[in-house]
Amino acid sequence: MTRTARDGAGIRRGLALLLLLAAWESLSRVGWLDPFYAPPPSAVGQVMWTLVADGQLWPHLEATAIAAFAGLVLGLALGIVLGFAAALSPVLAELLEPVMILLNAIPRVILAPLFVIWLGIGLASKLALATILVAVLIFFAVYNGIKEVDQRLVERVRTLGGGRSVLIREVYVPSVTVWVLGNFKVAVGFAFTGAVVGEFVASSRGLGYLLQFAQSTYNAALTIALIIIIMAFVLVLFALSERLERRLLAWRSAT
Amino acid sequence: MLRVSGLAVGYGGAPVLEGVDLEVRTGEFASLVGPSGSGKTSILRVVTELLQPERGTVDLDIPVSEVGFLFQDDALLPWRTVRQNVALGLRIRHLPPAVVDEKAERWLTLLGLGGYGDRYPGQLSGGQRKRVAIAQVLALEPKLLLMDEPFASLDAIVRMRITQELLDWVEREHLTVLLVTHDLEEAISVSDVVYVLGQGPRATIHARYPVEIPRPRHVIEARRHPAVGPLLRRLWEDLSDAPSPDHAPP
Repeated sequence: MTRTARDGAGIRRGLALLLLLAAWESLSRVGWLDPFYAPPPSAVGQVMWTLVADGQLWPHLEATAIAAFAGLVLGLALGIVLGFAAALSPVLAELLEPVMILLNAIPRVILAPLFVIWLGIGLASKLALATILVAVLIFFAVYNGIKEVDQRLVERVRTLGGGRSVLIREVYVPSVTVWVLGNFKVAVGFAFTGAVVGEFVASSRGLGYLLQFAQSTYNAALTIALIIIIMAFVLVLFALSERLERRLLAWRSAT
Repeated sequence: MLRVSGLAVGYGGAPVLEGVDLEVRTGEFASLVGPSGSGKTSILRVVTELLQPERGTVDLDIPVSEVGFLFQDDALLPWRTVRQNVALGLRIRHLPPAVVDEKAERWLTLLGLGGYGDRYPGQLSGGQRKRVAIAQVLALEPKLLLMDEPFASLDAIVRMRITQELLDWVEREHLTVLLVTHDLEEAISVSDVVYVLGQGPRATIHARYPVEIPRPRHVIEARRHPAVGPLLRRLWEDLSDAPSPDHAPP
């Protein structure tokens, strides 16, 4: 696609969104939409502005972001370590694989109430949820990444005299990086899901807590405002992860 | 330099090679021809310890680290630059970084890849990737060079050119070579001795033919030498006679 064609598409999409918002606003104004269920965009914007302007939002955003980031880092670390361990040791693979397959098959957010009982309503429980969501995903990325490493490269490095440590550095780690980065955006999304759902279940701070509050008070405008804020935040993180991906996989886009 | 005796190889119980004997003397260029699937590659894999034989011995009078193996495909590390790929074996040998850089650069220049050091393999043509693979192996200055149909994937002109460059290098350095190929004319034109491997299963060495063409050789001129015709005919007959599933005796 040419640059102008792409810009054109962007402009058309922006216009479509504006039209939708305008229609929604007018329908609310003329009374065809019940503002109790579907508050007009202007009302939602008003709530968002209040949240930002009086500084209410920041402690909650901070709480969620800390849980999500820490969960992302811990989940990545745990997934990478366990994935490597399982791929390099058949005994560990037999122990880990069934557990991981089970954890992968269930919607892992159902563990949230259990974490609250075990770890309380503070940071620990939502961190645990975010971590396990990410760790299971990354475990399979690493485990499969190593199992499906290009054997020709392994043989090449061996005939050049490379032992286990050279193979890990030159072949396994870079191949696994490809797989992990391929799942990185999903992992960012999962980390946020874990943090927000953890807060939603039981907490005293965070965007999930605010959402829960908005829902229990039937405040649709606040609910929609929070959903938009969370979406915007995740989109920013996606853009950042894309930049990271491009940097680390420069060799691939260089073709 | 290399003596293989009584070699037997099988994959998952299916016999491939049986009783293979062959010898490559120091400074000799040997070729191994045979039908596809007869186990030519397996012999090279046993020599480089990538494959465990069922029976038989491999006698090498050098450490296996001094054996260079040029594979059929040109799989290079896609995430490393051309320079890093060429330097890989040198770094594995823990040479000082300055020596690694100097040697890698020299081999890149020798193989006409001077300006390509910072590129990634995905940015090169098939012929250029093959040159990188050659540089990667030759940079280690192997005493014995094993080649597994290394130029099969290249177009005819590039193939001729790279073969000639490699041949010049081998002759100048008196390198010992074992080349696996199914191109009979190529085998004759570059080698001092051609081994014929029969059809599998249980393939074994059928015949050994010395090639009396003076060196240095030119890949195209050597093919016109009077010794080539008769030898080509005998190889052809050997391979047609070799018992095979396609030509089973009635």
